[in-house]
Amino acid sequence: MIYLDYGATSFHKPPQVYRAAARAMASCASPGRGGYAAAMEAQRWVYRCREAAGRLFDCQPEQTVITTSCTHGLNIAIRSLIKPGMKVVISGFEHNAVVRPLHALGAETVVAGRRLFDWEDTLEAFRKALDQGAEAAVFTHVSNVFGYILPVEEMAAACRQRGIPFILDAAQSAGVLPVSLEKLGAEFIAMPGHKGLLGPQGTGLLLCRGSGEPLLYGGTGGASRPREMPRELPERLEAGTMNVPGIAGLTMGLDYVLRRGPEDIFRQEHRCLERCVSMLGKRGLRVFSGPHQAGTVSFLPGMDCEDAARRLAEQGIAVRAGLHCAPLAHESAGTAETGTVRLSFGFDSRPEQLSHLERALSRAGI
Amino acid sequence: MRYDYITFRSVTFAQRGERVLQSAKIRCTLQRTPRWMEEQGCGYCLRLHARQLAAAAELLTREGVPFRKLYEQTAGGQLEEVSL
Repeated sequence: MIYLDYGATSFHKPPQVYRAAARAMASCASPGRGGYAAAMEAQRWVYRCREAAGRLFDCQPEQTVITTSCTHGLNIAIRSLIKPGMKVVISGFEHNAVVRPLHALGAETVVAGRRLFDWEDTLEAFRKALDQGAEAAVFTHVSNVFGYILPVEEMAAACRQRGIPFILDAAQSAGVLPVSLEKLGAEFIAMPGHKGLLGPQGTGLLLCRGSGEPLLYGGTGGASRPREMPRELPERLEAGTMNVPGIAGLTMGLDYVLRRGPEDIFRQEHRCLERCVSMLGKRGLRVFSGPHQAGTVSFLPGMDCEDAARRLAEQGIAVRAGLHCAPLAHESAGTAETGTVRLSFGFDSRPEQLSHLERALSRAGI
Repeated sequence: MRYDYITFRSVTFAQRGERVLQSAKIRCTLQRTPRWMEEQGCGYCLRLHARQLAAAAELLTREGVPFRKLYEQTAGGQLEEVSL
């Protein structure tokens, strides 16, 4: 199989990720609860994970809350920062992991910036929306559908200048692009553990500038007597037994990213992207491409997008079609009715794989 | 062997404290806090060799690692809460 669905999950992992997860299943008990060797080993994995995240994202270990997914982290962040009725600016490329929690809370969302790959439009619309009574902002770093890298440093600066708190969704950028809690000044940055950070599914991180409100209440292993959750991060936001095998794997994924460097991974993905965009363009397909693009591209296959993905799957090419849980992004690009076929590259994608894709496209009649 | 103890509000801070002290060559062991030391229920602490408590507490304060309480072993072997 040629795997071109890294936007969904990094299906392939560095070998040390599998090894660490398997070893932790055999040797780790519940972290933060006991004092015996197996419990302490579990706790050491948890702390190593926080330390590695701290090095990659410029924060202290206790500012790194371990979640089950990016969606989990975004829900904590949104529930902590946004209150019902608040006016919240979002970009035109948000995932349902942002749109739905805001809707459920009853926030008043203002969508700002809908033109793909156009930083000027994004920034102008975003600043204008902030100046019209916004109380908070939530925005993605990279569109999961189109790979559009938003100008998040400038957007963050615009928020800081106005004293407006914001949340960054780093689902598609963590591990590939620079993400710094300190430099951006976000209240929260949420990310999955199983995409660019190369950990197992069921893991995620939420970086917190200050405190947050728990989404789950329960045991944390410490300060057990009070009925209230502890005030201290990260335990305040981590009720319940942790996914230690996942965390051990994520630690090794983070370690891989730290050793190799996100910029090198980005370069590799971008080489694949450039060659892919060129190849798709030569076939006369409508390809969504432009400046400021990460290793993800969408195209219109000239037939039902799900049918196209099925035909490619039959030839061993794994891609994702449809609306990609981001109807807002598709509305912005004018593809909400058709959906698109998305190709997304990862840390071990190779430009040579695109020859196989090209042959598969021909055989599929795309 | 005499030991002193530093208790923490969370296991994460205890682990950060452990890293800070170990990097300064102050030997310590992360362990569960003896029940009587922790009025909030459960927790983790660092156990140190005696006579390193003041240096350790100072270092933790300097590095911004919050701790709860300090316990020093007296000549009679009793542990007493101390403030430095």
